Amino acid sequence: MSKALKEITLGRVFIYLFLIAGAVIMIFPFYWMITGAFKSYVEIGQYPPLWWPTTFNFDNFVIAFEMAPFLTYFRNSVVAMVGSVSLCAFTTILASFAFSKLNFPGKHVIFGLLLGLMMIPFEMIIITNFRTIIDIKIYNTIFALIIPFTSSIFYTYILKGFFDSIPDSLYQAARVDGCSNWKYLWRVMVPIARPSLVTIILLNAIASWNSFMWPMLAVVERDLRTLPFGLYAFVSEGGAETQLMMAASTIIVVPMIILFLFARKQIVNGVARGGLKG
Amino acid sequence: MKITIEHLTKDFGSMIAVNDFNAVIESGELIALLGPSGCGKSTMLNMISGILPSTTGKIYFDEDDVTEVTPEKRGVGLVFQNYALYPHMTVLENIAFPLEIKKVKKAEREAKAKEMAKLVHVDMLLDRKPKQLSGGQQQRVAIARALIKNPRVLLLDEPLSNLDARLRIEMREEIRRIQQETQVTTIFVTHDQEEAMSISDHIVLMKDGFLQQVARPQELYDEPANCFVADFLGNPPINKTFGVVSNGKIVLDGGCEVELEAAKNLPEGKKVTLSMRAEAIVVDEDLVNAEGTVVETYVMGKEVLAYVELGDYKVRAYIPAEKSFGKGQKVTVGLKKRGVFVFDAETGERLA
Ligand SMILES: Nc1ncnc2c1ncn2[C@@H]1O[C@H](COP(=O)(O)OP(=O)(O)O)[C@@H](O)[C@H]1O
Ligand SMILES: [Mg+2]
Repeated sequence: MSKALKEITLGRVFIYLFLIAGAVIMIFPFYWMITGAFKSYVEIGQYPPLWWPTTFNFDNFVIAFEMAPFLTYFRNSVVAMVGSVSLCAFTTILASFAFSKLNFPGKHVIFGLLLGLMMIPFEMIIITNFRTIIDIKIYNTIFALIIPFTSSIFYTYILKGFFDSIPDSLYQAARVDGCSNWKYLWRVMVPIARPSLVTIILLNAIASWNSFMWPMLAVVERDLRTLPFGLYAFVSEGGAETQLMMAASTIIVVPMIILFLFARKQIVNGVARGGLKG
Repeated sequence: MKITIEHLTKDFGSMIAVNDFNAVIESGELIALLGPSGCGKSTMLNMISGILPSTTGKIYFDEDDVTEVTPEKRGVGLVFQNYALYPHMTVLENIAFPLEIKKVKKAEREAKAKEMAKLVHVDMLLDRKPKQLSGGQQQRVAIARALIKNPRVLLLDEPLSNLDARLRIEMREEIRRIQQETQVTTIFVTHDQEEAMSISDHIVLMKDGFLQQVARPQELYDEPANCFVADFLGNPPINKTFGVVSNGKIVLDGGCEVELEAAKNLPEGKKVTLSMRAEAIVVDEDLVNAEGTVVETYVMGKEVLAYVELGDYKVRAYIPAEKSFGKGQKVTVGLKKRGVFVFDAETGERLA
């Protein structure tokens, strides 16, 4: 007890005050959104602002669900996310393995070129991607939300970095035992790289869940909208009331918050383990 | 299983790591592949295991030409310097992994793995992960994993170099025990002459990719084929002097004349290297081959280490503790038959 007390120095007090202030700034919008989702029309307009809804009722959610097909949006978001993230993880694993452990002519040149592509901003590729999905006739289908995101140079780069750090002697030991490349990849490399892989998948999932511009371009049908685009449409088409917007936003954000809380340790580990080193 | 290596060469482009190598390794023997760092030992081993394709030459296991055979079909067990255990698997899973690849049933392969674990004395650690093991334990696990598929050959690449000195001696005796229990033909790579001497049936000594000599440890020490072999073995290092053959004697640089039976048959004027093991030199006794001067002495307990000047060279010799010599004292120097070698000074070939 006394030892713990001794360690509370002035410097530490300031550090903690600073961290608390940072946390409050980060958390406040979420707090405001979630409590707002439970307030009534009158409560949300009140001045001075009401910190806590007087009664917790789910009316706003019910109304929001009635005004727009959020369940459909939700389903689309989930399908797009699961589809693109799992396919992307698959291609990333294969590509990282090839670039890290296999020898083929032009390997370094090809990888260099791919890295160079990372410098082109997404906004610039949108037009060509848009043409492509029209050409291959998946415009305005759920596949338009999945196919363009089934590979990632950035994640490949990160995972290759991790694969590089796995000693070749493991690969040779496995080969002497008759292990195929395929089996080695899934039975040895992937389990070892799990922290990195989980980080990549989570980052990708969050990016997919929040993506807005592409879904807005790639689908027109209301039944194919994803949540962020759906929310935008909900606000702009309905001229929705603030408490309903808060409810709708909560619907979008909560799954990601839950996902993050479950995987927080994994994300931090993966990043701290030098997942970004070359 | 017998291993025959014929004209084996590995050219990396930048260098030739193994050069026209010929050797026969008898079935059931433990062979030490010895040589200084960078001489091509690992390259050699990797070619035998099949991890590395050879540039030219042939490798036979018994009568089968395995030169083009893929590693998994050669039936070799390989232990790496860093052990290369799979970090995410337990000891049991690591040992059983080669059988898992062969699709052996789980119960069966675990039973076999436990048997192997018992052989190498890690049977109480089966549920641990590699990083929870000491170096010596990891090494045993690596050996068990290499042995589980009943390999025809066991290859060990400097398996002891990551261990501390005491464990190293313990583990090399372990390896010897395991090898004798299993009777598997074993190639043990090391750069440590003492390790090679103590553990092996035969030593294959190499340098810069070339085979120097294959012999039993004692024979390698007593009858080196060339100057490099004589230099490489022995502690303290062999005394090395240079001279010219003249009138059936060897005249060392600096003028010291050494009378040597063996020199009588050598051509006049031949430049030679005279190498003498410290224990082959006697000072001030009946045996007399040359005369020298004591320059320094160190008391070592049961004997005295003396530096004796012969021409331009100072050679180490052991003298009995009860004799005492002052600095600068003139003495006679005798050379025993065993441990004295004459090499061609240019080629390093053994002349006598
Ligand atoms: N993949 C490679 N490419 C080029 N040179 C290599 C390669 N592997 C080894 N070498 C070279 O071949 C020589 C022998 O290496 P190695 O067999 O590892 O020696 P040792 O195991 O005896 O220390 C070394 O000089 C090394 O630099
Ligand atoms: Mg080596």
